[in-house]
Amino acid sequence: MTDLIRMERVSKAYGRIQALKDVDFTVQENEIVGLLGDNGAGKSTLIKVLSGAVPSTSGDIYVRGQKVSIRSTTDAIANGIETIYQDSALVTQLSIARNLFLGREPVKGPRFLNRLDHAAMDAVTRDLLKRVGISKNIPPSTPVGSLSGGERQAVAIARAMYFESDLIILDEPTNNLGVAETQGVLRFVRNARKSGHSCIFIAHNIHHVFQVVDRIVVMRGGRVVADDINPKQSSVEDVERIITGMSDEELERALGANEH
Amino acid sequence: MRAAPACLSSCHFGLLVEQRSLIQRFVAKPEFGPLVLLVAEIVVFWSINPDFLSALNISNTLSFTVELGLIALAMTLLMTAGEFDLSVGSVFGFAPVLMWTLFNSGITSLEVAFVIALVVAALIGLANGLFVTRIKISSFLVTLGMLLVVRGVALFISDGFPQRTWSAGQHWLAQALVGDFYVGPFRIYMSLFWFIGVALVLGYVLTQTKAGNWIQATGGNPGAARARGVNVNRTKVALFMLSATMASFAGVISSIRTSAANPNSGAGYELEVIAMVVIGGTALMGGRGTIIGTVLGVFILRVMRNGIVLIGVPGLAYNIFIGAIILGMMTLHSILERRHHAGT
Repeated sequence: MTDLIRMERVSKAYGRIQALKDVDFTVQENEIVGLLGDNGAGKSTLIKVLSGAVPSTSGDIYVRGQKVSIRSTTDAIANGIETIYQDSALVTQLSIARNLFLGREPVKGPRFLNRLDHAAMDAVTRDLLKRVGISKNIPPSTPVGSLSGGERQAVAIARAMYFESDLIILDEPTNNLGVAETQGVLRFVRNARKSGHSCIFIAHNIHHVFQVVDRIVVMRGGRVVADDINPKQSSVEDVERIITGMSDEELERALGANEH
Repeated sequence: MRAAPACLSSCHFGLLVEQRSLIQRFVAKPEFGPLVLLVAEIVVFWSINPDFLSALNISNTLSFTVELGLIALAMTLLMTAGEFDLSVGSVFGFAPVLMWTLFNSGITSLEVAFVIALVVAALIGLANGLFVTRIKISSFLVTLGMLLVVRGVALFISDGFPQRTWSAGQHWLAQALVGDFYVGPFRIYMSLFWFIGVALVLGYVLTQTKAGNWIQATGGNPGAARARGVNVNRTKVALFMLSATMASFAGVISSIRTSAANPNSGAGYELEVIAMVVIGGTALMGGRGTIIGTVLGVFILRVMRNGIVLIGVPGLAYNIFIGAIILGMMTLHSILERRHHAGT
C-alpha cells in the first residue's frame, strides 16, 4: 500500500542548531498518528516543514508516492495538507461561513458582480458543523470571535474536511481547553477519520493522544526514536520513558523527586 | 373553538419574543449608537433653532458634507483592511490644482485634465500601498510622508496661488459633477448622487462580495488570510489607490463648487475623515467596517459643525464637541464589542 505522506531523510538546521536529523516519517491513508516528544524534540519543526511554514535543509516529501515540493503554506494546502494551529488561523471578526470559505468563496450571478452565494455557504456550513459533531445549533452567521476554543477548532477541522484535505495536522488542539471541550475536539478528530481523512495529532497531554490515535511516533533530539507504538498495547508510562529517554529506574527516581 | 384563545396567546407570545430578539439584534449593531446620536443631534439643534431644518440650511449642509463623505467611504474599506491614509487631505488639494493648471495653460481639454488628475492620484495611492506592503513601513509613516510631498508639490506648481476654475461654467463635466437643481425649496447638487452611488457600490462590495470578504480578512487576521490564498498585499494596494482616487475626485468636485482650486485646501481633512469612519463603528485596527455607519458618522460631524454655529456656540468650540463625540462613541463601541464577545 502506498503511504499517504512519506518524509525521507528530512533535515532542518537553524544556523548551527540541527533541529531535524535525517527524519523518516509516514502517515497512512485514514490513519491518526500521534506525534510526541519533549520540548525541543523537533516535532514542531517537522510539522512546520510539512505544512510549508519553513523549508527543509535536505530530504524529500512524497504525497501518495509522488515527490512534491512544499515551500509555502499554499503549496501544502494544494497538496491536501492542512495545518490547524492552536489559534486555528481563523478571522475572529468574520462569521463561521465566511471563515470556512475564505479564499475559495462561491459566487453567483454575473461574474463582474462578484457576489457571494450566501445561501450555499450557509447550507454547507450547517451540514459541516453537524458532520464534525457540533450538537448545538449555531447559526452560520455567528462571528468566530464569539465561539469557544473547542468550537473554533471544530470550525477549522470542518474547513479542512470540506476542502478535501487528505491530511489534517492538529498542533496542540486541546491546550487551554476544559474537559468537556477537549472531549469535543477528540470527537471531531474521530469524525474526521470516519470521513476518510488522516490526521497528525500533537499534544503535550499523552492521555489525550492515547484516546484518539492509531499509532504513536516519538521524537527526541531531532530524530524519530520510535515510530510504531500501538496505544492499545502500550502504557502511558512506556511512552513517557521513550520520550524522556530515561531508564525505568531513572524515570522512577525523577517522578519520585517531583512528588516530594 | 376553545383552543383558539390558547393558540392566539401562544402565537402572540412567540411574536413578542421574535420582535424582542429583532430589537436586540438591532441594538447590538455597530450602527445603532451613531444612529441614536445623529437623531439626538438633529432634535436638539432643531428644538433650539427651528431654522436648522430649513430648506436652505439642509441644502448647504448636504453640499459640503458629501465631498468629505466620498473620501470617508473609501477610507472605510482601507481601514477595514487594517490601514489608513493620512495623505487624503493633500490629494484633495493637489488634484484640482493639477487639473486646472493643465486646463488653464491650454495643455489639454478639461476632460483629459480630469482623467489625468484621477490617474495621478491613483499612482500616489499605488506608491503608498507599495511602501506599506513591500517595504513594510507602517501606513501612518508612509502616508504622513506622502501628505507632505503632495502638499509641497501642490504649492510648488501653483506658486501657492489658487487656480481659477470659473471657466468651467456650463461645461458638461462641471454639470455632471456639481450641477444643481431645485426640488421644491431644496437645492440639490449632483455631488449628492455621486455620494449615494459610491456608498451603495462600496456597501455592496464590503458586505456582499468575495472582495469584501478578503478586505475584512486582510484587516482581521492577515496571516490567516494569506494562508487561505488571499492576496493581502494586492488587496491593500488596491484600497490605497481607491482612497487616493476618491480624495482626488472629491477635491475636483469641491474646486468646481467653490470656483477655486486652492493648493492649501483639504488641510486637516484626513483626521476629520478618520474620525467620521471610526465614529460610524469601523474598527481602527481593521477587520470590521460598516458603510452605513460611515454615512452616519459623516452626518454626525457635519451636522455638529453646522448646528453649533446655528445655535450660537462659537465656531471655535467645534473641536471640543468633536473630541467628546469621538471619546463617547469609542467607549460605546468598546462596551458593545465586549458584550458581543461575552455572548450577552
